[in-house]
Amino acid sequence: MLLSIISQSFFQSFSLEDNLLVILTALTSGSGVGFNRAMLFLAEGDKIRGEMWLGPRTREEAKYIWEVLSTPGIGYIEIIEHNRSLVDKNADTLSARIKSLSYSLHEEPLLLPALSASKKEIFIVRDAGNEPLVDKKFLETIGVNDFLCIPLYARDETMGEIVLDNAITNAPIEAKDIKLASICGLIAGNYIYATSLHAKMVEMEKLAALGEMAMFITHQLRNPLVTIGGFTDQLLNAQVEKEKQKRNLDIIKEEIRRLEKVVFELGHLLRVDLKKPVSIEVQPIIKSVLQSTDIKIKKKGREVRPRIEKNLPRILCEPTYLGEVLRNLLDNAFDATPPAGKIFVHVYRENKNWLVISVKDTGLGIPEHLKEKMFKPFFSTKEKGIGLGLLFVKRVMDAYGGKIEVESEEGKGAKFKLYFKCEEGG
Amino acid sequence: MKKTKQMKKILIVEDEKTLCLLYEEELAKEGYSVTTANDADTALEILKKKKFDLIITDIRMPGKNGIDLITKIMGLRKDIPIIINTAYQSYKSDFMTWAADAYVVKSSSLDELKSKIKEFIKK
Repeated sequence: MLLSIISQSFFQSFSLEDNLLVILTALTSGSGVGFNRAMLFLAEGDKIRGEMWLGPRTREEAKYIWEVLSTPGIGYIEIIEHNRSLVDKNADTLSARIKSLSYSLHEEPLLLPALSASKKEIFIVRDAGNEPLVDKKFLETIGVNDFLCIPLYARDETMGEIVLDNAITNAPIEAKDIKLASICGLIAGNYIYATSLHAKMVEMEKLAALGEMAMFITHQLRNPLVTIGGFTDQLLNAQVEKEKQKRNLDIIKEEIRRLEKVVFELGHLLRVDLKKPVSIEVQPIIKSVLQSTDIKIKKKGREVRPRIEKNLPRILCEPTYLGEVLRNLLDNAFDATPPAGKIFVHVYRENKNWLVISVKDTGLGIPEHLKEKMFKPFFSTKEKGIGLGLLFVKRVMDAYGGKIEVESEEGKGAKFKLYFKCEEGG
Repeated sequence: MKKTKQMKKILIVEDEKTLCLLYEEELAKEGYSVTTANDADTALEILKKKKFDLIITDIRMPGKNGIDLITKIMGLRKDIPIIINTAYQSYKSDFMTWAADAYVVKSSSLDELKSKIKEFIKK
């Protein structure tokens, strides 16, 4: 029961605080280890700091709580929901009493509770009033003579400590309780460690993304600048013939356009999710995008075959973004499709919840190893691709609760399906 | 007796075609014979057929990158000086780039690149 509670909760996306509460709940619930109260300290630098103290404040409260929790049919989720109110640091709870407690893990004299966390050893205290190893102020706070200190650590790193007692029932702390509590301690220590690692990883990923961004800007700006600088230098030479002058100016103009596009797309990308979704009719937007891209596509010898079903529902999105998203997909499809190839656009209602816009090209398809990379920032297979198009599409879809599906077989083209949420009753 | 002067041959590996054009023209002015390749695989094909006095390569390119290319060239045991020419400063920390003979960050002035070329090719 105990382990199943803990393991079940860890597979859910609970916060660190919730999962720690699960452990304290397991330690205090009757169906778990069954201590009356559980106090949690978390390591913070070279100190441990009071974080949470779960349990009733008085005998009356205990009676009431235990009655509530023993109601038939009550599950661990309900217990945790209930316990959450008991550890609210801003209310009159036990947790509020320990939030200002903090003990150094190194400064002598090392007394309990810090001693246990510092030495990574379990301490069972009996008759604390006469125990010189217990900090007097702590004894005042906990107010019982018998308690158990379980250190939380992982890979030799102190993560915190749990202090357990039976203040209400005065039941003696037995060997089997210590065993179970130490297992919980191991789980908690490793869990806190994993969470801190994860937090570090997220931080590192952010830094890596920032590094990627800096790389991207360097590349996207430097290449056009080199081209512009180089061809300008040639122009400054008086002996350049007319024809070459024009060619250089054309190249320079094109590179400046490219710089503009980079600036535009970056700005665009950083701005998504600021606008609220509105109810939109899709046909006019899709038609206007198709019209504006059709000329370019036809000129280059490809053909778009649109199929827009009748009686389409309204969707929740942002009109400009919807247009941009479709334009991006058409651009990609155009680049992927060989001359004289076809691009199929199909707009239909999948079911009551989703409207689908699918864009299928007849190009080479997406190789398996690129499928994961293609939504990453700054990834592009095009010579002058910026690598923000699909990322933009994804961000828009995420921001408006939609989803993207990609079907592709190498050699047979790719199909991008955008699922937009239909307006309710639409 | 004076040897007949032959134009020194440079292979440029760069995915951006306009940059290739610029380098081609500018280095031709300096009296080099320039061949360009837009990706590493093409460069390796060309290297099989033709001898060069110097290779200039970009790093970030679709397909094989410049570092892969350098590794392959080293595998071919061709003793050709290689100059890395990239938009990024940061690849310097990749030790494989140390296998190249010079690392020149792309700049709108080609002076540094030209002077490095002169260092390795005595015309």
